[in-house]
Amino acid sequence: MNVEEVKSRRAASSIELRNMESEDEMLDAWAGTSDGEFQNKEEEEELDALASDDENDGSDYGFDYSNIDDIQPSSRLPQTNFTVLSEKDIRHRQAEAIATITNFLSISPVDAGVLLRYFKWSISKVNDEWFADEERVRANVGLLEKPATSKRKIDKEMTCGICFEGHPFEKMTAPRCGHYFCETCWTGYIHTAINDGPGCLTLRCADPSCGAAVGEDMVLGLVSNEDQQKYTRYLLRSYVEDNRKVKWCPAPGCEYAVEYQPGVGSYDLVCKCGLNFCWNCREEAHRPVDCETVNKWILKNCAESENMNWILANSKPCPKCKRPIEKNQGCMHITCTPPCKHEFCWLCLGAWTDHGERTGGFYACNRYETAKQEGVYDEAERRREMAKNSLERYTHYYERWATNESSRAKALADLQQMQPVQIEKLSDKQCQPVSQLKFVTDAWLQIVECRRVLKWTYAYGYYLPENEHTKRQFFEYSQGEAEAGLERLHQCAEKDLQTFLEGDNPTSSFNDFRTKLAGLTSVTRTYFENLVRALENNLSDVDNLKGAAKSSSSSKASGSSKSRGGRAKGGSSRSGGSSRSWEEATHWSCEHCTYANTTATSSTVCIICQYPRS
Amino acid sequence: MSAATANTNLPRRIIKETQRLLSEPAPGISASPSEENLRYFNVMILGPSQSPYEGGVFKLELFLPEEYPMAAPKVRFLTKIYHPNIDKLGRICLDILKDKWSPALQIRTVLLSIQALLSAPNPDDPLAENIAKHWKTNEQEAVETAREWTRLYASGA
Ligand SMILES: [Zn+2]
Ligand SMILES: [Zn+2]
Ligand SMILES: [Zn+2]
Ligand SMILES: [Zn+2]
Ligand SMILES: [Zn+2]
Ligand SMILES: [Zn+2]
Ligand SMILES: [Zn+2]
Repeated sequence: MNVEEVKSRRAASSIELRNMESEDEMLDAWAGTSDGEFQNKEEEEELDALASDDENDGSDYGFDYSNIDDIQPSSRLPQTNFTVLSEKDIRHRQAEAIATITNFLSISPVDAGVLLRYFKWSISKVNDEWFADEERVRANVGLLEKPATSKRKIDKEMTCGICFEGHPFEKMTAPRCGHYFCETCWTGYIHTAINDGPGCLTLRCADPSCGAAVGEDMVLGLVSNEDQQKYTRYLLRSYVEDNRKVKWCPAPGCEYAVEYQPGVGSYDLVCKCGLNFCWNCREEAHRPVDCETVNKWILKNCAESENMNWILANSKPCPKCKRPIEKNQGCMHITCTPPCKHEFCWLCLGAWTDHGERTGGFYACNRYETAKQEGVYDEAERRREMAKNSLERYTHYYERWATNESSRAKALADLQQMQPVQIEKLSDKQCQPVSQLKFVTDAWLQIVECRRVLKWTYAYGYYLPENEHTKRQFFEYSQGEAEAGLERLHQCAEKDLQTFLEGDNPTSSFNDFRTKLAGLTSVTRTYFENLVRALENNLSDVDNLKGAAKSSSSSKASGSSKSRGGRAKGGSSRSGGSSRSWEEATHWSCEHCTYANTTATSSTVCIICQYPRS
Repeated sequence: MSAATANTNLPRRIIKETQRLLSEPAPGISASPSEENLRYFNVMILGPSQSPYEGGVFKLELFLPEEYPMAAPKVRFLTKIYHPNIDKLGRICLDILKDKWSPALQIRTVLLSIQALLSAPNPDDPLAENIAKHWKTNEQEAVETAREWTRLYASGA
C-alpha cells in the first residue's frame, strides 16, 4: 500500500467504511479517528447478530467476548498501536484463534486450524465466510462434513495405489475422504510437500480427484522429527507471513514480529531488539518523510546511474583504448593509464602529437574552440555540464544525509556508554542520586531521535522541487532552526557534560547545567516537533506565512545550503540572518533558552522556560 | 529383462507400470523402456482423429526421476509439432506435469492426458506465445499450419 493511497483512502467517508466487511479492507483504509471506533463496534454487532441467530441453542457456543477482545484491537483509542510478538506470543495467538473458531463453529481444533490457515488467520473472515455459505467453504477448504464410511475395513489386505504393494489394513491410512494409501506412501507424499515449502500447510489428499484437506494431526502423526519441525515452523511463520496485520522485524537475526493496529499516527515503531523501523516499508524509521520518498532515495543511493553521471561529468573515453579516463589536473594534456599510455588532448580528443604551435600552443586547443563555435561539441559538453550540476546537487544532500546518520550512530553509541558507566561516575562526582540525572539520558535520547529526523529531511529536501520557492524557503528555515537547536544541544551534552565528569569536586554550577541541558532538550524537541509536523503536512502551512515572508530577501539564508549535519562550530550559530525578518513578525526568541515563541501564543513570557521576554 | 542388472533398485511400482504398459497398451499410445535405463521410455503417440495431428506419429521421451512417483515424470516431444501448449524444445504445458501432479497418477494417465491435449489445444494457457497468438487470431490458418507440420515432420516413422 503506498502512502498516497493511504491518504486518499483515509479521506474516505464513513459510509464507505460502513460497507467494509473485513478487517483486511479496514487495514487498507487506515481508518481514521472515529472510523476505527466505528469498525470495532460494527464487528461486535456482527458477532452479536451471529450469536443471536442461534439463540435457541446459543449456549452451546459458549462464545466469550473477552476472548475476541484479546485478538481484536483492545484499545478504543484511535491511535496507531504496535504490538511486538515473540514466537511464544505468536503460538499463543494461534492457539487462541483456533480455540475461538473451535468454539464458535463447533468444529474440531484441527479443522479450525485448516480454516484459519486458508483464511490467513482472520477470525472474522472465517466467521463471515462460514456463516454466509458453509457448504461452499467446506468444498473450497476441503473439509468433509462426515467421514466417508469405508467398506474396505473388512478386507484383510489392500493394494496401495501409489506403490502398488499389498499391505495389511492397519498399515493403510486416509484422511476423512477415505482415500487409503499405505503409511509409507503418505509419509513420502507429505515429506515431498513439506520440502516444497509452506504450501504443505494447505495440503490436499493424494488422490488427484479429491480435494480433502490433510490436517495437522495426520501430518505430524506420520512424518519424521525433522519434517515435524519444518512443518511447525511453517505453521508459525504463516501467522506472520499470511497475515496482513503482522510482519517480521527486518533486523537480521531478530525473531520478533510486529502487529499493527489501525489508527492514526505514523508507521514508525521500535522492536524489542531495539531496531527502529517503518512498519509499512520495513526500512529504518523515517518519520516525517513518507515511504515513497525514502524508497526513491534509497534506490537512488545505490543506483548505478549516479556512478554513470559521475563518470559522465568527470571522464572521457580514451580515444585509443576507450576506457574512461578521469581528468584530475588542470592540464589538457592527458596520458592514458598503462598499458595504453596514449597521449591525447582532453578538449578535442585528438592525439597530443598533433598539438603544439599549430593548435595555438600547448595550453590551448583552438581545434576545440573552432569546433565548439561550429557547434560540434556543444551537445556532449552540455550533457556533461548538466550531469555535473545534478551530481553536485545530489552530493550536497547525500553528504548531509550520511553525516547525520553517522552522527546519530555516534550519539547512540555515546548514549549506550553513558547509561551504566558515565551516569554513575557523574553521580559520584557531583553527589547526585542517579534518579536525578535522568535529564542527561533524556538529552541523549533526544539527540539520537533528532539526528534521525534531520537525516531524513535531507532526502525530503532533495525531492522538494526547486521551483517551489516559498515551500523551499519555509522548509530550509524550519530545517535550519531545528538543526541549529540540535547543534547547541549536542554541544552542551557533549562538551559541558565532560567538564562535570572531569572535575574533582561537586560544582555549584551543576544546577545551571541541569537547567540549560533540560531547557535545550525541550526546545530542540519543540523545534523538531514543528519540523516533523510541517513536513507531514507537506509544508502546507507555508501559505499562512506567505504574507510575513514577503520581506525575506534570500532563500539561501538557512538550512541545508549552509549547515553541516555534523557538529556545530559554536553556540548559537544562527542568530540573525536575512530570513529572520519574516519570522520577527510572528516569533520572538527567548533570551534565556533561545526558543522561538510565537507572538500569537505568548508575547510576554517564554512558554518553554517561563522567562519573561526582555 | 536383459537390463535388469543395471537397474537393480527399480521400485516395484515402476516394474508393474512397465509390465502393464507393455501388456495392455492404451489405444494410440506405445511406451517402451530403454534397454540401458529402465526409467527412460520411448513413447509414440498417434495424432488423434479429427485433430490437425491426425495421421501423424509423434515421438516423445519420458523419464522417471529418482523421486517418482512423489515427483512427476519428465516428458518432452521429440517430433516437431505446431501446438500452442508445446514449445519448440518439445516441452509441454500440462498441469499434472507440474503443480497438479499426484503420486496416484501414472505414466498411462500422463500419456492419455497428452493425447487429449492434442485433441484440445488451449491457446489461453500458452507455452508457445507466437503459436497461441496465431491460434487466437486466425484459428483456421493455425490449424492448417499444424496439419502442414504433421505432414512434414510426423508422417511415416
Ligand atoms: Zn481423498
Ligand atoms: Zn504405498
Ligand atoms: Zn527486531
Ligand atoms: Zn516507510
Ligand atoms: Zn588508452
Ligand atoms: Zn585538442
Ligand atoms: Zn525560554
